[in-house]
Amino acid sequence: MEGIATTLTTWNAGVTRLTAPPRGTFTKLARGATVGKPHDVAQQRRVLEATLALLAQDAPIDMVRLNESAEE
Amino acid sequence: MEILEDLKQWQAEYERGWLAHYRETGEMDWKNLYNRPKNKTAPSGSGVDLSQSRLMFISTAGGYLREDQEPFSTNRADLGDYSIRRFPSSTPLEALAFAHVAYDHTAVEEDPQVLIPLRHLEDMVSEGVIGEVAPSAISFCGWQPDVVRTINETIPAIVEAAKAEEVDAALLVPA
Repeated sequence: MEGIATTLTTWNAGVTRLTAPPRGTFTKLARGATVGKPHDVAQQRRVLEATLALLAQDAPIDMVRLNESAEE
Repeated sequence: MEILEDLKQWQAEYERGWLAHYRETGEMDWKNLYNRPKNKTAPSGSGVDLSQSRLMFISTAGGYLREDQEPFSTNRADLGDYSIRRFPSSTPLEALAFAHVAYDHTAVEEDPQVLIPLRHLEDMVSEGVIGEVAPSAISFCGWQPDVVRTINETIPAIVEAAKAEEVDAALLVPA
């Protein structure tokens, strides 16, 4: 984004990959709960920390799979 | 670098395919007729030290200030709402409402941080992980079939806001 380092996280890796983002993580979380399950603070923080950590790297990088899902 | 490679080709396929079919039949055929935007080359750019950076949060969840802002259009016949909403990053999450046609709002209404994790980002500022969060968060409704309008209307508004707030980095959370 015009000189601004960007990162994202998505549950929809297939569609997101097609757009070739510079940095990003993907999970098996659910549509409408991209960052984590409701009130699962630990999971939400893990997703955010991993996604934001990518900002330290020069882009582009391959999307990173996170072992996070909507299952209990 | 172009935001979408071969934008003219995408537009032509969209207009003669998905859009023409919708106008003729009223059916939105995402599976067979919608050409997903594709790029071959990802943007390049330098990484940043997040602990020294100003981070802007961007969401496609259709969030807006319930008392002070207009909701996004949820009329599918409008073929998307390409406007953005800016609200203070310090906004209490209970002040937000969500207008979006393409996801179940149950989770975000139970815990807005599943899509709008602003309190977590504030905590990460306190911990020194993030330098600061930009004063404004940016929200739009990600149900935008017409990529040309996304590129010509939505993205410039976001870039303008990001530049105005002199951000170094951005986190996008699609719904």
